[in-house]
Amino acid sequence: MKASRMDRLDFVSAIVLTAFGIAVLVESLRLPRLDHLNVNPYTVPGIVPGMLGAILTLCGLAMLIRSILRGGWRLDLTADTVGGFVRSASVRRVALVLALTLGYALGLFGWLPFWLATMVFVFAFVVATEAMALGKLPPLPNIAIAAAIAAVTGAGVEFVFERLFYVRLPG
Amino acid sequence: MAGLESFLSAIGGFVTSFAIIDVFWATLLGIVVGMLPGLTATLGVALMTTLTFQMEADRAILILICMYVGAIYGGSRSAILLNIPGTPANAATSLDGYPLARSGQAGRAMAIATTGSFVGGLIGMLALAVVAPALAEFALSFGAFEFFWLAVFGVLIAGQLTALDDPLKGWIAGFLGLFVAMIGQEGIHAVPRFAYGSTDLAGGIGLLPAMVGAFGFAEILTVMRQQSYEVVRGKVGSIWTGIRQAVRYRITAIRSGLIGTFMGLVPGVGEDMGAWASYAAARQTSREKGQFGKGSVEGLMAAETGNNAAVPGALIPVLTLAVPGSAPAAVLLAAMVIHGIRPGPLIMIEFPDFVFSVVAMVFLATCAMFVLGLLLTRPLLLVLRVTRERLMPVIFVLCTVGAFAIASRTFDVWIMLVFGVLGFILRELKYPMAPLILGIVLGDILDKSLRRGLVLTDGDLTPFFTRPISIVLFGSALLFILLSMPGTRRLMARMLGRRRDGGGP
Repeated sequence: MKASRMDRLDFVSAIVLTAFGIAVLVESLRLPRLDHLNVNPYTVPGIVPGMLGAILTLCGLAMLIRSILRGGWRLDLTADTVGGFVRSASVRRVALVLALTLGYALGLFGWLPFWLATMVFVFAFVVATEAMALGKLPPLPNIAIAAAIAAVTGAGVEFVFERLFYVRLPG
Repeated sequence: MAGLESFLSAIGGFVTSFAIIDVFWATLLGIVVGMLPGLTATLGVALMTTLTFQMEADRAILILICMYVGAIYGGSRSAILLNIPGTPANAATSLDGYPLARSGQAGRAMAIATTGSFVGGLIGMLALAVVAPALAEFALSFGAFEFFWLAVFGVLIAGQLTALDDPLKGWIAGFLGLFVAMIGQEGIHAVPRFAYGSTDLAGGIGLLPAMVGAFGFAEILTVMRQQSYEVVRGKVGSIWTGIRQAVRYRITAIRSGLIGTFMGLVPGVGEDMGAWASYAAARQTSREKGQFGKGSVEGLMAAETGNNAAVPGALIPVLTLAVPGSAPAAVLLAAMVIHGIRPGPLIMIEFPDFVFSVVAMVFLATCAMFVLGLLLTRPLLLVLRVTRERLMPVIFVLCTVGAFAIASRTFDVWIMLVFGVLGFILRELKYPMAPLILGIVLGDILDKSLRRGLVLTDGDLTPFFTRPISIVLFGSALLFILLSMPGTRRLMARMLGRRRDGGGP
């Protein structure tokens, strides 16, 4: 029987989940028992997380066995399949979006004035994703629209949050 | 009678003040949020919570409920015109709405969806007014044992019903959510768990940043991964014939309203299942089964009535048990707590007018949705012309600011990012998000209830399995697990087959 793509993904996620469950269980056992405070042993902090760790481990093992029975352990990791995955348009789009969004949230937000960081991010996002969709730099009117959206978003969000709703923004 | 008085006085208060303006703008914004692929009702309510937390409680909750009702309805527009459900609750809508739009009857389809949503909202509202006070009184008899099983039952049933093809993944999502709730200082001895010296982690994972990540950032990544969408162009068609046609299916509407309300009431299940269960029931009883999936007016009516009826339905357990019936209701629960309202069994004692105030809010939001939905059919089509490349960066900015705004902490932005990426990966692996969020909400209840129960009985587990309500909740949870196991299903099928064979001639 040929395993489906989901069976192979389940095999990998089951291993991760089982390892995570075991880690939660071990860490729960290491939580303080508060013996020196004479607390009731049924109220120790690790009791519920420990149970959850055990349940997650069991669920992970159940999924692991199921994916093995369905042939999911044959991961079919060849240079062709990996290369095809990496080169696919959807993966490249997600990678670009991740780079732009993480760059904004971790790099610009809080470091530059909010309106400026937001304008730079929105403009870069629109132009870069449109360029990827078109396969070339977008035409001038599209770039002008991107600049307008960036300006309105930067100024508009700052105005609404800071002036209307009194939320302090960073930067 | 006192309830009716409270309801009428709340309506009077809202209508004769500036609140009516809030009703219209918040519902309209909700419709726009619901229409846009990538913006869900959950995200809309979460972002609006961050904007309204400085307002008075009544005004803030009114705006959030209008946003919720509007967004669940608004999702039908993109389901009909793009074949992309604006929110997950509108997936069943696209099955018949899109074929109708393609045959030049988009206007009719939108009118049917609007009428269905209106009827569903009203039926759910009536149920909210009748059931909530009774359930709150019943829940007064709940102790630690019952709340423990309620949390377990909620996570299991939400996991089961939101991942019908693979309940194991639904349960895993729920247990992961419960684990997330364990991070930070626990509520009995104030011991930080899984914090590793970080004061931010010791404060726990905020529900709102996690939800903005799981429903906002993850959705942006999902939308950008997919092919771009195209709007159905051409004739919109008549709107008024749609309303006339919707009246023909009043029995379907009433049945779907009741089913939707019930599905909303079940913890964590919400509008998606409200729509699907109503749709399935309508198909089963219809005389025009063959039309379902090809542009059935009855199917569209059932789906849209079911999902909007689930909105007030999902508020019933929020108000009476502090257990959300859906993901957006989980945000509403958090918002109520932020505004000093304590939902739970004591609500009819501590805030007796609040439940009927919420009923009045749902009523006004449903009426505003009906009026705006019909009057703005054509102008609202412009919203769908915005391309994802231009919309998504704006949404991400709102997600970032929304996560930051509640506590002015950069840590919450990181939480949003982590939950966004994790949520995207889990979605790709077909793990549902709703049980994860329900788990985060119920984690604290489960943790405290189990430990308090064990202290009360000095470690004896018997009351967890012998008290009447505990037996029902535990039995239902066990039954759900057993029935979803392939081995049990095979055994039952074999037993039923043998009985049929034995009974034959």
